Amino acid sequence: MPEIKVTPLGAGQDVGRSCILVSIGGKNIMLDCGMHMGYNDDRRFPDFSYITQNGRLTDFLDCVIISHFHLDHCGALPYMSEMVGYDGPIYMTHPTKAICPILLEDFRKITVDKKGETNFFTSQMIKDCMKKVVPLNLHQTVQVDDELELKAYYAGHVLGAAMVLIKVGSESVVYTGDYNMTPDRHLGAAWIDKCRPDILISESTYATTIRDSKRCRERDFLKKVHESIERGGKVLIPVFALGRAQELCILLETFWERMNLKAPIYFSTGLTEKANHYYKLFITWTNQKIRKTFVQRNMFEFKHIKAFDRSYADNPGPMVVFATPGMLHAGQSLQIFKKWAGNEKNMVIMPGYCVQGTIGHKILNGQRKLEMEGRSTLDVKLQVEYMSFSAHADAKGIMQLIRMAEPRNMLLVHGEALKMEFLKGKIEQEFNIDCYMPANGETITVSTNPSVPVDISLNLLKREMALGGPLPDPKKPRTMHGTLIMKENSMKLVSSEQALKELGLNEHQLRFTCRVQLQDPHSDLDTLHRIYTHLKSLLKGYTIQHVPDGTVMVESIVIKVSSSAEDPNNKVLLLSWSYQDEDLGSFLSSLLKKGLPSGLC
Amino acid sequence: MEDSEFEDVLDDWFIESLKTYKDLHVYQLEHPTKVIEWTSEKTVCVAGYTSSKNEILELRLPLKLLADKNKGLCAERDFKVTYGGFTEGAVCCLTHVPGTRCLVTNDGLSSDLQLWELGGDDSDVIRRTGLVQGRSLSDGGSKIAAQLSPSPQVLHGGLISDVLLTELSSGLTVYKLETQSSDRLSSLQFESEAVFLAGCTNGSVYVADTRTSAAPQLLPPPESSHESVQWWADVCAGPHLSCSRLIRLSSVGVAVVSDLRNAGTSVSRAQLDVNAQRSNPDIRVCWSPTLHDYVSVSGFGGVVEIYNVSSWSTDSQVVAESLFQHRGHAVSSNVDVSVVVTAHTWHPERPRTLMSAASDGSVHVWDWVEPHQSA
Repeated sequence: MPEIKVTPLGAGQDVGRSCILVSIGGKNIMLDCGMHMGYNDDRRFPDFSYITQNGRLTDFLDCVIISHFHLDHCGALPYMSEMVGYDGPIYMTHPTKAICPILLEDFRKITVDKKGETNFFTSQMIKDCMKKVVPLNLHQTVQVDDELELKAYYAGHVLGAAMVLIKVGSESVVYTGDYNMTPDRHLGAAWIDKCRPDILISESTYATTIRDSKRCRERDFLKKVHESIERGGKVLIPVFALGRAQELCILLETFWERMNLKAPIYFSTGLTEKANHYYKLFITWTNQKIRKTFVQRNMFEFKHIKAFDRSYADNPGPMVVFATPGMLHAGQSLQIFKKWAGNEKNMVIMPGYCVQGTIGHKILNGQRKLEMEGRSTLDVKLQVEYMSFSAHADAKGIMQLIRMAEPRNMLLVHGEALKMEFLKGKIEQEFNIDCYMPANGETITVSTNPSVPVDISLNLLKREMALGGPLPDPKKPRTMHGTLIMKENSMKLVSSEQALKELGLNEHQLRFTCRVQLQDPHSDLDTLHRIYTHLKSLLKGYTIQHVPDGTVMVESIVIKVSSSAEDPNNKVLLLSWSYQDEDLGSFLSSLLKKGLPSGLC
Repeated sequence: MEDSEFEDVLDDWFIESLKTYKDLHVYQLEHPTKVIEWTSEKTVCVAGYTSSKNEILELRLPLKLLADKNKGLCAERDFKVTYGGFTEGAVCCLTHVPGTRCLVTNDGLSSDLQLWELGGDDSDVIRRTGLVQGRSLSDGGSKIAAQLSPSPQVLHGGLISDVLLTELSSGLTVYKLETQSSDRLSSLQFESEAVFLAGCTNGSVYVADTRTSAAPQLLPPPESSHESVQWWADVCAGPHLSCSRLIRLSSVGVAVVSDLRNAGTSVSRAQLDVNAQRSNPDIRVCWSPTLHDYVSVSGFGGVVEIYNVSSWSTDSQVVAESLFQHRGHAVSSNVDVSVVVTAHTWHPERPRTLMSAASDGSVHVWDWVEPHQSA
């Protein structure tokens, strides 16, 4: 029985470090290659020695697929390809391909330059790794080799996030990565065909949550900004150029307009150029509203939001500044933070996750005294707010996706340890499919029932039509007779005549004969006639002939009558039929063994 | 309503909410609930009421809402499903038995009760553990009340004549309310350890003590100009029975407050400013557990209202205006059928935090601001 094997190396029952191996139709695929943000040691990367103890991964993997640019899905990629060794193709969407190296470089800088770690991947390794990337377009089928094909679907979540359908022959797997089923201010909702994969591999980080509405998150953001502005404070929002900055700008612009607020809003200039560049490139990945806006005007032509100059940071009075980078580890956001940190009227709003070792990570953990370069310390008096705008599917979203894709099996990764029994039960009850939750390193094997395609010759079909009977009903199986020819890798069903011809074989006839004894006080000829009348009355719809040479023929079955020399009343019937008419032949022999009815003339 | 128009109305409400709520969280359940029952100060149970299969969920409130210190650093604002279970029928009434991990439900059709156990540490499944048979043969479901006691027991019944106190472990009836009347119950609750109140749809309220078999004390229905009104009741327990106050609310929006010492006479009454045309069988009136004189009302359309009864007089003609109105369910529902609030409850300890649910499956948790305190 063919089977698909799935082994999570990093994601199973463990948030972060997504990495899943799939074996399907003889192909081995790695889904995501993430790092764990909570560890500094070996545990931060997936355990690639599971694939091979020594030697390169290229021999064991047919391809690697990266679902989106978050580090917990791509952070181990240069380590895997350049340090462990993998030269095969790495698939990701265009936006992911553009943004992923920027994030990896940021991460490398923090790890190596700030924290002084050695034995880490280099800038050159990131570049070399990215050379192995093959870009994916949405809904375009990509052939990895003759048998393995991929197709990407929109996943929402972040710019460029994709779900991937992996197909070998008639077997298929869908990997969702992180996805979001509700559209927001700048991204649309995830969507997939009713592709009925053998396995749907979904994240389940939020599988046991019911999400607070997006609007309430935005409300909190506005409330915090507004409170700070009201008391004359300055608000710093460190952002990644391509994260949620655009979304938050649109939100603040609308709010300022409605509330008629006058405090200036600025964004750092690097931000606009970079963002505009990428948004122009990847406008098709955003939602319809943004696309419309973009046609009318530049993404960053706001009425209330102006470009920032470093001298503005010292201006008196309230203001809001969006600045990069998002984790406060360098650059403009860090400079502004240092200036404003000492005033409790001010506020910093962190709209996303921060890597260990960054100022952002420290203040989110409640640290109030920071050691800066040059042995100076910085007292953090300003208000620190953490807001998560990440868009993940919750319990309802997972159910929606299952309804959309109609998988035959469900596999949940990226979730919490034990306590998901209820969700498993819910999925199994509602969709009548199996649901698996493997641990790291645990392999789940799912048997598939791939259909075997067989060509049927037109002649055979025509003959079937000519035989009449009801028209084919897709809901009911129907028996057809023919000869199956297996040649090379194809199979076809043809008529036996054609098979003989094609294979250059002679046709052999196989006949059965049988004798039936009967007591009948008539002449042989009369007995034969009586048999004829008897069968004629019983077998409606069959061709029955009384041939003058002293035989009765029912289809191909021949019946002759002779009487024994001792007793003329003791008749011997000789029946003979071809192999093709075996059913009718044996029916007739057992029928005639019962004798003839007396009332016959 | 046009989509953009709907968005505008919603945006307006959210902007307004910056001043009128300290915290506001809006959730969408897969299926609407008629029950919101606290199982601890951090967790609630909700359950579906469709005629076929339903789910019972225990939800943990978001850390952000419950955090007092470092609220800003807490990004967790989602409900977490801590336990879940499947039921064959509707859940119209759900009560948590204090001091246990046991739930008791009723399907709104028979007087039988279903017992459930919220799983232990190794499982997140709510399992059905038993059945308690009711006394009533009439349909219409039972009301349930439970009290902290050494051996878990529940008080239940559909009609005033079938109110029983059943011990859960043995299934034995340990008390039976002695009365000939067969009025339908609209509310049932403990006032103290042994004293309970059973409110009937006709407005009468019985006060009885489970320790004695004496006849219950009967509070007659409030005077009413309408004949066909229905009544719901809630009691606010004071330090002594004499301090306990009872509020009764009718389907036409008349509210009557009486104290249990002078059972017959009302202390104050008012005509609430509600849309009585929109009333449904799920009217709810609740005393605030922490704020003296505050009651909340839902079931008249898509709003939850807070009233301060101290401003009411003995004159029933006065129309009382609400102190606060939660319009969130009505505003954020874009369905054609008008949305109705199906349940609401006060947080047992946080004074102005309430939780409400509506017929569109929405669940809101909100910490409102006293109108005079807002700018």
